Amino acid sequence: MKNPFIGYILQRILQCIVVILIGTTVTFVIPRLVPATNPVETAIARAQMIGQYTDPKAVDEMRRVLTKLYGLEGTVFQQYVRYWGSLLRGDFGPSFSSFPTPVMTLIRVSLSWTAGLLLVTTILSWIIGTFLGGLAGYFGEKPWARTLEIIANTIRPIPYYIMALLMLILFSYVIPLFPRGGAFAIGLTPTFSWQFIRSVIIHAFLPALSLIVVGIGGWFQNMRILVSNVIREDYVVYAETLNISSRDILYKYVMRNAFLPQLTGLALQLGMIFSGALITEAVFNYPGLGFLAYTAILRGDYSLIMGITFFSIVAIAVGALIIDLLYPLFDPRVRYT
Amino acid sequence: MLFILVVSLVIPTLSFAQEKGLEVAPGIPRSETLILENPEGRIANPGKFNLWGGGGGWSTGLQQIAFDALWYIDPDAGIEGKTWLNSLAAEPPVYNKSFTKMTAKLRKGIYWSDGVEFTADDVVYTVKTLAAHPEMSWGAAMKVNVKNVSAPDKYTVVFELSQPNSRFHALFTVRWCACYIMPKHIFEKQKDPVAFDFNPPVSLGSYVLKSYDTAGNWFLWERRQDWQRTTLGMLYGMPAPKYVLYIAPGPPEKRVMAQMNHELDVIHDIAPEGVVTLMKKNPTSKAWFDDFPWAHPDPTLPAVVLNNEKYPLNMKEVRWALTLAIDIVDVSMASYNGAATISAIQVPPTGHYLEWYFDPIQPWLEKFSLKVGGKPFYPYDSSIPFKIAEKVKKDLGYNVPSDPKEVKARLGYGWWKYAPDVAEKLLLSKGFKRDKNGKWLLPDGKPWKITILCEGEARPVMTRAATMIAEQWRRFGIDAQAEPIDLLWTRTSYGDYDASMIWNVETWGGHPDLFWFLESWHSQYYRPSGQATVSKNFMRFKSKKLDTIIDQLRRRDFNDPKCLDLGLEFVKLSVEEMPTIPIMSYNVFTVCDEYYWTGFPTAKNPYTDPVPNWANTKYMFVKIKPVKR
Repeated sequence: MKNPFIGYILQRILQCIVVILIGTTVTFVIPRLVPATNPVETAIARAQMIGQYTDPKAVDEMRRVLTKLYGLEGTVFQQYVRYWGSLLRGDFGPSFSSFPTPVMTLIRVSLSWTAGLLLVTTILSWIIGTFLGGLAGYFGEKPWARTLEIIANTIRPIPYYIMALLMLILFSYVIPLFPRGGAFAIGLTPTFSWQFIRSVIIHAFLPALSLIVVGIGGWFQNMRILVSNVIREDYVVYAETLNISSRDILYKYVMRNAFLPQLTGLALQLGMIFSGALITEAVFNYPGLGFLAYTAILRGDYSLIMGITFFSIVAIAVGALIIDLLYPLFDPRVRYT
Repeated sequence: MLFILVVSLVIPTLSFAQEKGLEVAPGIPRSETLILENPEGRIANPGKFNLWGGGGGWSTGLQQIAFDALWYIDPDAGIEGKTWLNSLAAEPPVYNKSFTKMTAKLRKGIYWSDGVEFTADDVVYTVKTLAAHPEMSWGAAMKVNVKNVSAPDKYTVVFELSQPNSRFHALFTVRWCACYIMPKHIFEKQKDPVAFDFNPPVSLGSYVLKSYDTAGNWFLWERRQDWQRTTLGMLYGMPAPKYVLYIAPGPPEKRVMAQMNHELDVIHDIAPEGVVTLMKKNPTSKAWFDDFPWAHPDPTLPAVVLNNEKYPLNMKEVRWALTLAIDIVDVSMASYNGAATISAIQVPPTGHYLEWYFDPIQPWLEKFSLKVGGKPFYPYDSSIPFKIAEKVKKDLGYNVPSDPKEVKARLGYGWWKYAPDVAEKLLLSKGFKRDKNGKWLLPDGKPWKITILCEGEARPVMTRAATMIAEQWRRFGIDAQAEPIDLLWTRTSYGDYDASMIWNVETWGGHPDLFWFLESWHSQYYRPSGQATVSKNFMRFKSKKLDTIIDQLRRRDFNDPKCLDLGLEFVKLSVEEMPTIPIMSYNVFTVCDEYYWTGFPTAKNPYTDPVPNWANTKYMFVKIKPVKR
C-alpha cells in the first residue's frame, strides 16, 4: 500500500520546485523584454547623468564591449540556458552596475543586516500581535480589550513611512536617545566585541521598533477576528458549559485553533524577508536588501535582480513547503492524503 | 509582559546619548572633521575603490580628495581668479596644427601617498591600460582616440591621436569628473585591473582613506602628512580639515535635522522648503546666495526635450506653439518656489556664461521675431525675471533683491512670452483645429496627446515643473499628462517619448566652449527612435547649419575666440528651431553650516563650486577655516 505520507511530501516538494522554476523564468524574461531596462544603456545613461564626459565617438564601442561583458549576446533563450548553467554551479555572475563584483558578494553584505532586522521584528511582532489579538478577541467586552483594539485601529492605517519618520523625529531629534541612521557607529569595524554589538543594537532599535509597531497592528487584527469566530464554535460553547476554566479554554481550545492561519502567515512573511524593507532602509539608512533590489532595478542590473529575486522566490516557496509539511502536526484534522 | 518590561528597563541603559561637538568616531574630533553629504546614498560595494574598473562610488570622497587629474575647469570663478586650473599638469595642453598630437607637461614634486613619485609613466600606463580594457571607465574613449602614448622624459607625455581631435584634453579635464591617473606601481602588479579592488586606495590627492563603512553609508578620510607633495597642498597650502567624512544622511528631512544639530556641514541638495527652514532656524547655515534664491546654478540646463522625429513635434511652428503656451512664471513658482534661474536659450545661465552668452545675445533676442499670420511677433520678454521676483515677494514673502543686475544674475535674463493666442495662430496655420470642447485636434482630425516624462521622486523639482507645464498645456487645449518614471534616461535615449523633462545641455561653466555636449548633436551621430542615442541628441534634431557649426568648432583650438562666435550662432539657430524648450539651470540647494567651519564658497566669494559631489570641491578644503569653539 502506498504510503500517503511519502506521497504528500513528494507532491509538495514537486510543487515547490515548479514554483521556483516559474518564478525564476518570469523574473529572467520580463526585464529583458523592456528595452529601457537594458543594463548596457543604463550604464551609459548613468555615466551621462552624473556628468561624465562621454565621447560620442566612443559610445558605440562602449556598447559593444559592455554587451559582451554582461553576457547579453545571443537570444534571450541562449542567455537563459547560460544562466541556469551558472546557477546550478552556485554562480549568480557579476553585478552589472558594480561590475565585476559578484552578485553573491553584494547580497551577502545586505542579507545579514536584512535577515537580522526582519527575522527579529517579524517574529516579535507576530508573537505580540497574535497573543494580544487572541486576548482581545476572547475578552472582547472588557475595557482593556477595547482599548487595545482602538490603539491597533489607530496605528494600523498610518502609512509606514509616516510612522518611521515620526519615530525618527521623536527619538533621535526631539528627544535624542537614538542615532539617526546607519547600522553601527562611524569609525567602528564589524567585530565580535561588546562595543560593536552594543552599537548595532542601538542603531537597529528605531527601525525595529517602527517595524514591530506597524507589524503588531496587522497580526493583532487578524488574530482578533479569528478568535472572535472560533469562540462561537460549538466545542467552545460546550467547554464553557462544562465549567472548564477560561484560561484552559483560551489557550487549549481557542488560541490553538485560531492561530493556525497566523502560522501560515508567519511562514510566508518570513519568506518575504529576502525582499528587504525598502522604506525602512531609506528612512534609517539601514543597509538591507530592499534598497539593493531597488537600485538594481533602476540600473537594469539583471544579475543582481535575478540573485535577489531568486533568494526571495526560494525562501517563500520553501516557507510554504515547510508549513505544508508541518501543518498536520499542528492540526490533527489535516491528514497526509 | 515580562519580556516587554525587561526591554523597557534595559534599552534606556543602552541609549545613545548624542554628545554634540566632541567626537565623530572614536579618536576623531568633530572640530577637526568636515562632514559632507554623499548624494549617491548607500554604496552597494563600498570596498571597491577602483573607479576605472567600475568603482564603488563617485561621491565618497574618492574623486574629490583622493584622486587627481591633469586639469580642472572651475564652473565658477576659480581659486586663482581664473577658471582654467593646471593640476597634475604644469601647463595647459599643447596640440600640433592638425590636432593629431597633444603634449602634456607634468608638475614635478608630486607623490603618491605611499611615497612613490608621480611621473609620466603613470599617465602612459593609465592610457594604455584603459585602451586595452574598453570596458573600463574612459576605456572606450582611449581606445578610439589614442594611436600611441609615450613619455619622452619623466614629466612629459605625448599622445598621438588616431584622428584629429581638438578637444582630446576634455577627457583629462575635470568638469564634474575626468579621467584620473592610476598608480602604475600598484596596478601593474595586478592580473586583472578591472577586477582589482584597489583597497585601500593609494592617493594622489591630499587625503588618504582612514576607514569606511562596510555597509556603504560613510567614508572617512585623513589628511596626508605629506600634503605638501600634492597639487592642492603645493599650490594652495594645507587643507584645513584633518578629517573628512562623506556620509549618506538619508531623506531630505534627515539632512535638515542633521544640519540643525550641526552634524552635517555640507548638504548636497534639498528642496527649497528645506532651505527656508534652515535659513530660519539655523543661523549658521549658509547657501550660495545669502538670501533668495539661495541655490547654486550648475552649468546644466533642464529643458522640455521634444522628440523632433515624432509628428507633430517635427514642425518648428508646433514646437514654438508649445513654448508660447508655457507660463514660465508659474513653472518657476511650482518647481522651485520661484528660486529658478530661467534661461530662454540653450546655455545654462551660470558663472561666466552671463557675460559670454547672455549679455551679447540680448539685443538679438529682443529683435527676434516669428512670422504669425504674415506679421512679426516678438516673443522675447526680458521683464519675466522681475515678474517672478514680484510674485515671490507677494506670495511667499521672501527677501528678493530689487537691484535689476542682482535679479538678472539670480533669476535669469528673460524668457518667452506667455502667448497662447499666438500659439493658437501658429497651430491653425499648420492645419490644427479645435473640437467643440476647445480641445486641439491634429490636422488629420485625431486628438492631440502629449506625455511629458519626468523622474518622479528622484527629482521632485523637475517633476513639479513637468506637472505644471502639462497643466498649462491642458489649459491650452492639449491632452497633456506628466508621467513620472524611474527609467527616464533610458526611455528618452531610445526615443520612446513625446516630451521629457531632462537635460542634454551641459557646459564647462568656466569655459565658453560648447563642444562638451554639442559634438553629439552632429548628424553623424544621429540615431532614429528605437535605437539608443549616442550621447546628447535625445531630441533627434538634424540640421545642416548645426553640422557646419560643429565642424568649424572641431577645426579650431579650444581657446580660439571664434569658438564663442560659433557658440552664439548655435544659440540663434536653436532659438529659431526650438528643438528643445530650455527652462532653467539646474539649481542645487547646497547648504553649508558655518558652526564648525567657515569660508565656504558663495556668490560673493565664488572661488569654486560648493556642490560636494563635484571633483573641484577639493579647492574648498584649502579655503575653509575652523571656527574656534
